[in-house]
Amino acid sequence: MKKKMELNIVHLYPDVLNLYGDLGNVLCLKKRCEWRGLKVNVVNHNVRSGRGLERGDIFFLGGGSDRSQAIVYHHLMGLGPVLKKVIAEEKVVLAICGGYQLLGRCYVDSDGKEIPGLKIFDFITKSSKNRLIGNIIIDNLLGLKPLNIVGFENHGGRTYHDLQALGTVRSGFGNNSEDKKEGLVYRNCIGTYMHGPLLPKNPHLADHLIRKALERKYGNQELRVLDDSFEYSAHDKVKKLYL
Amino acid sequence: MKDPRYYLSILAGKSVMGVLKLMGRKATSLPGKLAVAVYPELLKEINDRCKKKVLITGTNGKTTTNNIINHIMRSATGRIISNLEGSNMRQGLASAFLKNKKPEYDWGFFEIDEGSFPGIVKYIRPDYVVVTNFFRDQLDRYGEIETTVSRIRDHVKSLNCTFILNADDPFVAQFGQLSKRALFYGVKRNMLSSRKEVIVETRFCPVCSRRLHYRYFNYGHLGEFRCPCGFRNPAYDYYISRIKQKANRYHFDFFSRKKVLKGLSFPYTGLYNSYNCAAALTFCFAAGADPGVIRKSLETFEYKLGRLEDFRFRNTTVKLVLAKNPIGLTQVLHNISFDRRPKALLLLLNDNIADGRDVSWIWDADFNLLAEMKDLKAVFCSGRRGEDMALRIKYAGISLDLIRRTDDDIRSSIRKILKENVGIIYIIPTYTALFETRNVLVDYQKHFDRKGG
Repeated sequence: MKKKMELNIVHLYPDVLNLYGDLGNVLCLKKRCEWRGLKVNVVNHNVRSGRGLERGDIFFLGGGSDRSQAIVYHHLMGLGPVLKKVIAEEKVVLAICGGYQLLGRCYVDSDGKEIPGLKIFDFITKSSKNRLIGNIIIDNLLGLKPLNIVGFENHGGRTYHDLQALGTVRSGFGNNSEDKKEGLVYRNCIGTYMHGPLLPKNPHLADHLIRKALERKYGNQELRVLDDSFEYSAHDKVKKLYL
Repeated sequence: MKDPRYYLSILAGKSVMGVLKLMGRKATSLPGKLAVAVYPELLKEINDRCKKKVLITGTNGKTTTNNIINHIMRSATGRIISNLEGSNMRQGLASAFLKNKKPEYDWGFFEIDEGSFPGIVKYIRPDYVVVTNFFRDQLDRYGEIETTVSRIRDHVKSLNCTFILNADDPFVAQFGQLSKRALFYGVKRNMLSSRKEVIVETRFCPVCSRRLHYRYFNYGHLGEFRCPCGFRNPAYDYYISRIKQKANRYHFDFFSRKKVLKGLSFPYTGLYNSYNCAAALTFCFAAGADPGVIRKSLETFEYKLGRLEDFRFRNTTVKLVLAKNPIGLTQVLHNISFDRRPKALLLLLNDNIADGRDVSWIWDADFNLLAEMKDLKAVFCSGRRGEDMALRIKYAGISLDLIRRTDDDIRSSIRKILKENVGIIYIIPTYTALFETRNVLVDYQKHFDRKGG
């Protein structure tokens, strides 16, 4: 008998980094796997957890308030080498907002002080007084159909890099409100400012992550098509109201 | 002589109020906004006319707490000014004044939006400040919960007043260090307390940032907590205990340091309402209200304006309940789960500025309870972002054949849900959907009464 395929999702610091409904992303991945008969284990990794991250197939890192991020900062910095390896091995990583910023070299705060990041990518984020807040719509650069990805952004930091972006901003601010780029893509790692939460309203992106994780583990996979009428009516509504 | 701008501001405000009333619109905000624009010192005028002032702030429960306080204190004096309808920024206070202008008031009871608190205490110098709780709410408007807490803390530090503080909320309890005159209230462990709280909220010590240990949770992060650094719930000055639910009422005892009021009865259920009662009763006791009056007023308290307001139709009852943030919505769903009648729900999600532009908060509410409800016949989703709500409950595991997606239009979605053959209908709107929903229901009810049903 063919063994049931199985994915391990590692949710990093869910009790601390949990702003703006971001845990909806993990729920979305889990449900979309289960609806297709795949087995999913969600592992909550927090400051009291030990090793075992290597078993993960998909990693999710959200953002938190300044205080929350300070609470887990040192623990997270200890994960730098593991996360770097995971990304190099083409495992799936989704990092949002504060989590995205932490993948870079450093964050420059309002006093000009540099707070070191995980240094997985060579980019910096500069703090700015005015927060960039609102609905955001981008054209994705992953070749996914439909073309748009919709969400909500709320960040004070401006991120600058020359790496591959997740998309081109159609409406909203993106990485820095200057260069029209939103997010970052490297192998199967995606960094982005998009909340919403991101994945439920963008099932094509959610399925892209699931497909990549399965591909890596089990070889090329066709995903069963799901009825996404609820998903796309929420997706289309954002476009109708804000594009 | 008075500043002529004072008279001009009253005239301007009153005129707009008259026009709005003619148009059948609510006048809780705009007239005051105009009056304050003409004469910014108007709030100081209100301050000077009140013998004593009470400010009620925090994330949830402000309007209910304010209404209970009004209801109790009204039996002693009619000279009260209050923004009872929940319009809680500067313009709301000014509108309350325009509606009920008197040369002098015995009491001013004002609920104050957390964001507006700093701007308002510049003019209104309170004798009491009631702080209910701090939860995540509209992060796009207020920023993170820590920002709100520290802004309010900075502005109450210099106030010479009595604080009435929720001892079960670590973020509120820490305010006790700011004044010697602090009264702490809480709700003791009860049948709804649990060891485990599912909703993810801040649970780190506001003093040292370590993880708090909880003996039990009442809801959200309210409960009995302690931190290795020594921070813990302050001792209660007043508290509610021995809660029992009978029919659709809560019965409980209220303890002060010296007295007990046994067998009080309150016509609304939900632990969050017990906290609202505890806050209001603590104030009323401290202000010297008569215990007999307190008992009677609590029993006859009736809510208006969409906080668990009932509308009766021939075959069914509609309950209207505002829910505007994750913890509030979770508590509303929790409360509904005790109602075993066959039921239908209408969830109305708007994303106007007063609701918060960001609708992601619905993913932080706990919908598992909804998925487990056996008597649930249908869930309608509507409002500007009704599609987001439908998607949220799909992922919560609500059976798809129960989900009814209607268009954005509130009136037509209410018309549709009224056709459901169920014993009870819950309509749960966000803030800006509340007033329209209420108007539609009042309208339908008139129509229904006329038909003599």
